[in-house]
Amino acid sequence: VTLQQPELRLSVFDPELLSRCISCGFCLPSCPTYKLTGDEASSPRGRITLMRALQDGSLAPDDATLREQSSFCLGCRACEPVCPAGVQYGQLLEQWRVHQWRGRRRPLRARALTMLAAQRWLVWLMGVARRSARTPNSARQGGAPSGAGRDGARSGAGRGGTPTGAGPGGGPYLMLGCFERGLFPAVSRAARRLLPGLSAPAGQGCCGALHAHNGDLAGGERLARRLGERLPGTIVTTSGGCAAHLAGVLGMERVSELSAYLVDQGTAVAGEVRVAGRRARVTLQDSCHLRNGLGVSAQPRQLLRRVADYVELPGAGTCCGAAGTYALLRPADSRRVLDPKLDAIEAAGVDYVVAVNPGCLRQLQTGLRRRRSAVRAVHLAELLAGAELPASVSTPREG
Amino acid sequence: VALSAEVLAELRGIVGSGNVHDADGDLAVYARDATPLFHHRPEAVVFPADTAQVAAILRLATARQIPVVPRGAGSNLAAATVPLRGGIVLVLTRLNRILEVCPEELLARVQPGVANATLGEAVAAVGLLYAPDPGSRVVSTVGGNVATCAGGLRGLKYGVTRNYVLGLEAVLPTGEVIRTGGRLWKDVAGYDLTRLLTGSEGTLAVITEVTVALLPAPASGNTGVAYFASLADAGRAVAAVIGGGLVPATLEFLDRQCIGAVEAYAGLGLRTDAGALLMFGDDGEPDAVERSMARMGAACDEAGALEVTTAKEVAQAEALLAARRCALPALSRLGSVTMLEDASVPRPRIAEMVERIDRIAEKHQVLIPTFGHAGDGNLHPTVVLPSADDADVVARAGHAIGDMFAAAMELDGTITGEHGVGAAKLPYLSARLGEDQLALLRRIKSAFDPAGILNPGKLGS
Repeated sequence: VTLQQPELRLSVFDPELLSRCISCGFCLPSCPTYKLTGDEASSPRGRITLMRALQDGSLAPDDATLREQSSFCLGCRACEPVCPAGVQYGQLLEQWRVHQWRGRRRPLRARALTMLAAQRWLVWLMGVARRSARTPNSARQGGAPSGAGRDGARSGAGRGGTPTGAGPGGGPYLMLGCFERGLFPAVSRAARRLLPGLSAPAGQGCCGALHAHNGDLAGGERLARRLGERLPGTIVTTSGGCAAHLAGVLGMERVSELSAYLVDQGTAVAGEVRVAGRRARVTLQDSCHLRNGLGVSAQPRQLLRRVADYVELPGAGTCCGAAGTYALLRPADSRRVLDPKLDAIEAAGVDYVVAVNPGCLRQLQTGLRRRRSAVRAVHLAELLAGAELPASVSTPREG
Repeated sequence: VALSAEVLAELRGIVGSGNVHDADGDLAVYARDATPLFHHRPEAVVFPADTAQVAAILRLATARQIPVVPRGAGSNLAAATVPLRGGIVLVLTRLNRILEVCPEELLARVQPGVANATLGEAVAAVGLLYAPDPGSRVVSTVGGNVATCAGGLRGLKYGVTRNYVLGLEAVLPTGEVIRTGGRLWKDVAGYDLTRLLTGSEGTLAVITEVTVALLPAPASGNTGVAYFASLADAGRAVAAVIGGGLVPATLEFLDRQCIGAVEAYAGLGLRTDAGALLMFGDDGEPDAVERSMARMGAACDEAGALEVTTAKEVAQAEALLAARRCALPALSRLGSVTMLEDASVPRPRIAEMVERIDRIAEKHQVLIPTFGHAGDGNLHPTVVLPSADDADVVARAGHAIGDMFAAAMELDGTITGEHGVGAAKLPYLSARLGEDQLALLRRIKSAFDPAGILNPGKLGS
């Protein structure tokens, strides 16, 4: 549903999606922004009331509350699994933002980011500048973590990402992710060590999740389709957010998030992460879209239990406040959401908090660093592969 | 009519400017609760932080004749929290602290904005139980539960909200703060205002603190399911259970249409070919629970159950109960408007009432699946409409609901067992209470609220 002209009010939302909500309010306690404010307007049900008012014209298209609430929403979709009526809130929000953030109304930072991410040459350049995320680590044999640490990971050769064990139509493919390859190239490298059979061709482009969540639904779908053409088989991604978006456009059967893929394939994940001469204590922060959109939450836990002592984080399934571009667009609100999360992480007595999405990883790293916390945030792939853990701690041994 | 700038400024002076919302969008959001077809925008939404602020707001409202509608989570199903006359919606979600949990005295003191389930978790952590468990427990607030005397799934064995309210702090519309009851199980000093305020639907005073009675948490519990060819057969099983001297913690039923909707939602493997499903369960010491479950299972068998199964593990039992709790939203998959009623009849007349409901549905050509609490006769016939836009079908739904209330009263029942009267059922109240009693309600109302500002257009108006 694309809105070209604001006066075509009735086309903002898919009426069928909007009519699902019966306003029972069961979603309220799951919503991080309702938890912050206790205000119906910042609850999923309240936002749907606002969407309906926009759709039927009882609120002006540029109403201030519409603008504020469409942006205040984290888009974490925690309201979806608890909704017995099956309201697809995430889709409604995307349609809402197409309207709210149409043209120049889109926040400048969101515009800049989505524009950059859509530039393949730029993404490619980031990869070159930060060392290619596609580089597998030849120091490793198979998926099991070895004793090699940071330096071992860096000694990798074998550029080019030739697929090994590629299926008939090519693939399975590792999606490199635009945000991730810039900020966390080690994550993709770790994923390739775990799954050396994945091919990671260059020039993949962006999956478009950022666009879809930031008011450019059509652009987001276009980019996802293009990525699907470039990687014409099963796509494995280390980003929960990308996985959910891609699955929404290309279909669930085409897309697999790393932990789900490892578990589905029965990949041997062994070894032990050790800290100060003992088995490490780790916890997990869920990726909202992975958990709420794709229903993947058991798999990363299952994998972590194999290599470390796993501690369940209270509220692991609630948003950390990264929420895609949210941390950039609304930094103060993002921190309000993050702070209780950091308290819980520090109280859990763990060495590592593990993320399954680059945005969450960045958010947790930034927050923990700000607090000078002893807890380190790492990506699941890194922990499992034993790659590039902070140098102060020892890395996994051969299992 | 918008509130004057002067009144808004005074409100902002009381609660701080960030806690008074009057933008169009904010008002639109508070125009409704969980009831379909009832909408009216307020003129301001105010979020007080404490009792003193509530008192100041009410004094102002009484002086200026401004309607005030107290609201918790807005999960009401009878439009009790819809501001039909505009004015102020007084949102109590900032009063959300559990002030005290006292295991020695088996009580807790909470502010009204605490969710029922939040209180339940807090007391469970110290081995205690807050018994009232309305289907909306994860979202609905204790204050709202008290204001509606919310019931729930455990009504037969444990009673309803009113059985657990020991004391209240409340603010009268004229601004005085009263404390009724307290920490005592026995206290007969004065009229029982605690009970009067419980179920008063925000028409007499604004509740700002609740002292509730707790119980030791039962050591174990279990749930089973029996399928019957018809509700009449299930009714015989219920009669046999109660007649046999059992008072089970859970005795819930779903009719055929509800079984299908819940199964489609929860995927528990329920038998969708049965005419009725009876969910039975008990809690207590493990051996007592086992005996009780066996006896209930046998009673179902004797009544001609098609199949009887008992949950093998706690998670399974909890999933069954959770599925029952979501019966209403699950029904919403049948149509986008669900009008959930809660007529109650004496227990032996449930099957008869459901038969009448089926006939009423046929007569008015609307879909009315029914589920409810078999243990206490509280039924939830739910009129499901494809859309609110079709005036004809909405009118037929209204006639069907009127007929259902009439049928319930003919069977010595009532128009509402636990949701409250609100605005939705006010037209039927005189048939239930009679004119003399209704006039007394009005005199009580004016004794509390001489200016008539609290939730006007509801009880006692």
